Amino acid sequence: MKNNRNPHEADLRGTLISVLVVGVLIAVMWAAVYAMYVAL
Amino acid sequence: MILHSDRGPLAGRHTSSAVAGTAAASERKLALWNIGFAYTAFLVGTLCGLIQVFMRNEMIQLPVWLDYYQVLTVHGVTLALVYTTFFIYAFLITGMSRSLGSFGPKVARWSWIGFFVAAAGTVWATIEILSGRASVLYTFYAPLKASGWFYVSLALLIIGTWIISFSLIAHYVKWRKANPGVMSPLFAFMTISTLIMWIIACLGVVAAVVFMYIPWAFGWVDTINVELSRTLFWFFGHPLVYFWLLPAYMAWYLVVPKLLGTRVFSDSLARLSFLLFILFSIPVGLHHQLTEPGVADFWKFLQVTLTFMVVIPTLMTAFSLFATFEISGRQKGAKGLFGWVGKLPWHDIRFTSLFIAMVFFIPGGAGGIINTSFQLNELVHNTLWVVGHFHITVGTPVAMTFMGISFWLIPYLTGRTLTKTTKKLAFVQIISWSVGMLFMSTAQHVLGLLGAPRRTQHSNYSDHPTVLGWFDGFFSNTSTLALGGIILFFSAMLLMVIVFRLWLIEPRSEEGDLYAEFPIAESDASATPRWLENWWIWIGIAVALILLAYTFPITHMIQDAPPGSKGFINW
Repeated sequence: MKNNRNPHEADLRGTLISVLVVGVLIAVMWAAVYAMYVAL
Repeated sequence: MILHSDRGPLAGRHTSSAVAGTAAASERKLALWNIGFAYTAFLVGTLCGLIQVFMRNEMIQLPVWLDYYQVLTVHGVTLALVYTTFFIYAFLITGMSRSLGSFGPKVARWSWIGFFVAAAGTVWATIEILSGRASVLYTFYAPLKASGWFYVSLALLIIGTWIISFSLIAHYVKWRKANPGVMSPLFAFMTISTLIMWIIACLGVVAAVVFMYIPWAFGWVDTINVELSRTLFWFFGHPLVYFWLLPAYMAWYLVVPKLLGTRVFSDSLARLSFLLFILFSIPVGLHHQLTEPGVADFWKFLQVTLTFMVVIPTLMTAFSLFATFEISGRQKGAKGLFGWVGKLPWHDIRFTSLFIAMVFFIPGGAGGIINTSFQLNELVHNTLWVVGHFHITVGTPVAMTFMGISFWLIPYLTGRTLTKTTKKLAFVQIISWSVGMLFMSTAQHVLGLLGAPRRTQHSNYSDHPTVLGWFDGFFSNTSTLALGGIILFFSAMLLMVIVFRLWLIEPRSEEGDLYAEFPIAESDASATPRWLENWWIWIGIAVALILLAYTFPITHMIQDAPPGSKGFINW
């Protein structure tokens, strides 16, 4: 069944989680290089 | 509700009525010339890339008339400056014609003049490099000194892009006058944002080339202020990255929703993100010079902070894209948190190529944040990490988006279609580019973290035991780097075959052919604030930020200038 709701009323939980995951990935990569900086 | 579907004169040009406009035919021809020039540069540049990975691996030796740094300079200039610039203008010219209507005779004439000036500058610069008079890499850092004509040719390239840019702006201004009080189509708005940023950014490199490099290279003055020349270069050099990236963003914002059968998620958000790039992409160049002396830490820190502001429009874009995917998937009946992923049109090469490009931008963006972090920059500055970062940002998200655009833009311009065979080749090309880049870029990142330098042919420090240990790992290995380079070259040649087929061999398209359309999604501008299109506000804020970030450091560099450096030609 098609969902004809206005885009602004759409269920965007997947979007929220996806963007958070991207943010966490970036933070983890940054922290990994920072750990290397401290270790060296 | 104001829905911009961006239907213009090129939109249905396969019908008899649409091919009547001579201006549209002229724009089509101009766009194809730009694409032809771009892919010629791509061919030369990727060949030079292959030569470089072989040389780093000591698999080949060049003839005496050609050296590594010539090859490296040609690689950087042809791919980073020429392929990108000419392809971008092909995309913008076609999109502006489609969005705002056919060019008038003056706009068409000046666009052609701009193309020829830029092309002449490019050919001239390439001759200077290949003749051994300008092995200064694409950043042409002083005190390395090229022939004066090399800098003149670069100035011509910039002037050519300005002429085309002002032609496109004139086309936009004419449309605004004819449509008072109406928000411009989103494609046109994004184009103008990109061009405003480009014109302001170029002021730095024009000042450096005209007032510093040319007088120095021709011997009119003996020395050059190295710090100032580099600062003016990076005033231009960082927004140059966004000049590459914003057209890719245009495709992500406008083409992707169309391919998904939906509209732009938020017209206001899309416009605001582009405006934020005008503000925060220019007053940030000092983060490329964090290890250089002569600039107080405060100004470096200020520009680092402004650089981080770019995260805002970047994550706005990420949110908008994920929302577009999810809304489209749910409209097609997707269930659960991530059921919409399975509803994406993975079989459509126009979408898949852009999606993979976006995925590569995640580690690319993370690497960018690492580069600009004041302390972490010490770890990666001038190492192969930066080369890996460059390839995983410009070399993949930007380049692969341009490849994805080529799969429909060339058929759109030539009136041909993408057959099943070529579509399969396109999938192989995109996947092989991804695999090759994963090998090569990962090797470059890892080797860079260990300390291998960039901008040099050899990174083994005369076979020092510690350094030789860097190259023992699976990824920290020049063989892995070479393997990635070979796969990338294979992919590049496959792309040339596809471009050739789309240009000359594929059958003529028929009415309704998906691959012969310029896909631009509808965008609802009814709730978009009008002040977003008051350019003087945004240009004013951008200038204020630039003055804030640069006035004191540049004044200091001029008032307390060191004696200056004579030129060095070490090749």
